[in-house]
Amino acid sequence: MGDVTAISTYVPAWRTAGGMTAAGSDEDAVTMAVEAGMAALGDGLIPVDRVVLVSRELPLLEGGSAAVLLAGLGLAEGTAVVEQVGGAPAVLDAISSAEAGTLVLAAELTEGAAAGAVLVGPGQGISPAARVQRSLPLRLRGQDGVVYEDSDPRLQRERGVRASFERADLPSKPVAVAGLTPRDAAELCEGTPPRPPTLGAASPIFALATLAEERRSGLVAAVEQASLSAAYVEPAGATVTRLERPQLTLPDAGPTPGPDIKFAYTAYDRAFDSKVRWEAGRCPSCGTLALPPRWRCIECGQEGAHELVPLPRRGTVYTHATIHTPVPGLTSPYSLAVVALSGVDVRALVTVTDASAGSVDIDRQGRLVLRRVATRSGVPDYGYAFQPDVPVSEPAEVA
Amino acid sequence: MRRVAIVGAGMTPFGEHFGLGLKDLVPMAVSEMAATVDKGLDRGDIEAAWFGELTTTDGFPTGILADQCGLLDIPVSRIENACATGQDTLRNAVFGVASGHIDVALVVGADKVRETSSRSTFWEWMGMTRDMAWDYPLGLVAPANFALHVRRYLHESPATRTHLAMIAVKNHHHATTNPKAQLRNEITVEQVLAAPMVVDPFGLYDCTPQSDGAAALLVVGEEVADRYTDRPIWIRGLGLGLDRVMHQHKADMTTFPPTKKAAAAAYAMAGVSPADIDVAEVHDCFTGVELISYEDLGFADRFCGYELVEAHATTVGGSIPVNPSGGLKAKGHPPGATGVAQCVELFEQLRGEACNQVEDARVALAHNVGGPTAVSAVTILSSDRP
Repeated sequence: MGDVTAISTYVPAWRTAGGMTAAGSDEDAVTMAVEAGMAALGDGLIPVDRVVLVSRELPLLEGGSAAVLLAGLGLAEGTAVVEQVGGAPAVLDAISSAEAGTLVLAAELTEGAAAGAVLVGPGQGISPAARVQRSLPLRLRGQDGVVYEDSDPRLQRERGVRASFERADLPSKPVAVAGLTPRDAAELCEGTPPRPPTLGAASPIFALATLAEERRSGLVAAVEQASLSAAYVEPAGATVTRLERPQLTLPDAGPTPGPDIKFAYTAYDRAFDSKVRWEAGRCPSCGTLALPPRWRCIECGQEGAHELVPLPRRGTVYTHATIHTPVPGLTSPYSLAVVALSGVDVRALVTVTDASAGSVDIDRQGRLVLRRVATRSGVPDYGYAFQPDVPVSEPAEVA
Repeated sequence: MRRVAIVGAGMTPFGEHFGLGLKDLVPMAVSEMAATVDKGLDRGDIEAAWFGELTTTDGFPTGILADQCGLLDIPVSRIENACATGQDTLRNAVFGVASGHIDVALVVGADKVRETSSRSTFWEWMGMTRDMAWDYPLGLVAPANFALHVRRYLHESPATRTHLAMIAVKNHHHATTNPKAQLRNEITVEQVLAAPMVVDPFGLYDCTPQSDGAAALLVVGEEVADRYTDRPIWIRGLGLGLDRVMHQHKADMTTFPPTKKAAAAAYAMAGVSPADIDVAEVHDCFTGVELISYEDLGFADRFCGYELVEAHATTVGGSIPVNPSGGLKAKGHPPGATGVAQCVELFEQLRGEACNQVEDARVALAHNVGGPTAVSAVTILSSDRP
């Protein structure tokens, strides 16, 4: 039993030509969950000892994404991590059954890409209300990863959602039902339900964010096919952070075919902590920061082990280049930038993300965000990318 | 140090030699060189060879040189130093001869860029120049490597893309009369500016082509020079400079510090100043690199390189002709061969035999900058004995 202390929602900066929110080509469930999770963690006043990531698109089923998740969130590598396959009901369940000190993350790449995070602190504000697990696999995905879908909305509504609601026998109408279109949700709700941008795993968190902003509380349900979960939630005291940008149309082009980008496990291993935690080596003698960390200090020549210290996550473009020519394994055009980090004498060479290639110029400011910077011989390679601030004068692209 | 001279210089045409392997191009260049030795070359005189090559496409490099050139009984060493490979190969041979241990040395540079598909070349070269964990996966391809510098340079200096285009036009113009050049067509500033973008700010015509080719020099000690010619070309200055390998560690990207270091060393060794240079072959893998190099080599004041372009000072007939061969931009750029081929051009210039002859050229300079813009070589040659 706990309280919803912080809620954050993340909507990627892209949409398909059809208008559906879409993840960028350098995003996956882990990077999106980290975006949301970092916002929910805020100043880190609540110690987190458990992270639950719920998604149907876990990037690594073997090898694990836990280390990347913790590094991206800046949490200790001893923190417990649950990587759970699931959708909206599983996320609401994870929140309502969480102990204080749990960070619940949800990420969805399909059905409107979005992510959310709920930080559960001490309190009595959430409690499970009902759980119904029934089978009506109108959409299914087996171990081969192929999605089979038999679209039958009326069957889904009658034998899926409504039948499960009857069985749940809730004491009152919910104030929000996640996982349903606004029209379907309205029929089952008390008052006007929130309109989340996703029907997927993150949808209950979007519903909680809206309730918190509107200072409402009550029974919240989440459904998926014929499964249902419900919980009492009083999120009124929670801080809410919404990460959203004016959306750009996702380019059609995928990566240029050709030979794999080479991968070296030893180099990956040596760089991991600094590269995924965004930390520099600090010279034990003169304090100079080095990115990447190095044996011999770039300033004073002191040799030996260095300690890692966090780097600023904001910076200014010193110079940049936009690559138009096709490069195997990458999606052209793409932009690279040398970014001077704020307040330290450190520059980073990074990809530019969440912006059209070539749209960023010298002196543009922005933040450094975790992204899957490349997929190398099948291995996701995570690092930081430059996300330019949205200029105040630049209106969102017209759909 | 013992004085050292070049007494023979030759090269294959640069281009897409799909029908020729390194095993063909290397002996062809050596024979081209031998044909320029005024009094003839007995290959039995050659006591050692140095071979510059970035990547091998035909197997064991030094063995290929020995095997394919009939030089099985001498030592052969390979040099690799990114785009400075060719000149560094010469540099090492010169020190071998200067030491007095050998009198006659062969210098060969070669590369065959068009042996692999142009797309796989990107990753092969990045594998040789980038940090495997940090920079390699980002796709900092060779043009981007330089574009990061030139973008900042254009931001801080009055130069524009039009000045870059004028350099491409000049070097194409020079190449039209060079039978060894890969791109021998005139182009216009409008064409350059309208060409498809490769890596902003470089359009297609701002970039060197991908080239195959080989070049060779015969380097001898002062005492034996007259056995081969009465018109030797003297090695006057040699410089090699390095820098931080990662772009994020280069404080000022409007300049190439390795060039400044290499040039300072070469000028000091030669006892000349930039004003003494009559003709230069300058690294122009991308047009903006030639522009920045005018300043690093001391031909122009900081951020004033564009003035040389506007005044056509670097065109043959101007005050400091640069890349009369067509440069990397139009003559071509098989990296291992490039620096050696620059010296072939300057050998001809200083003997008054060049296809785009600079009048009364007596002191000449060759320059390369490359890898992760972290290495440069500068060589100064003269018809005047030091």
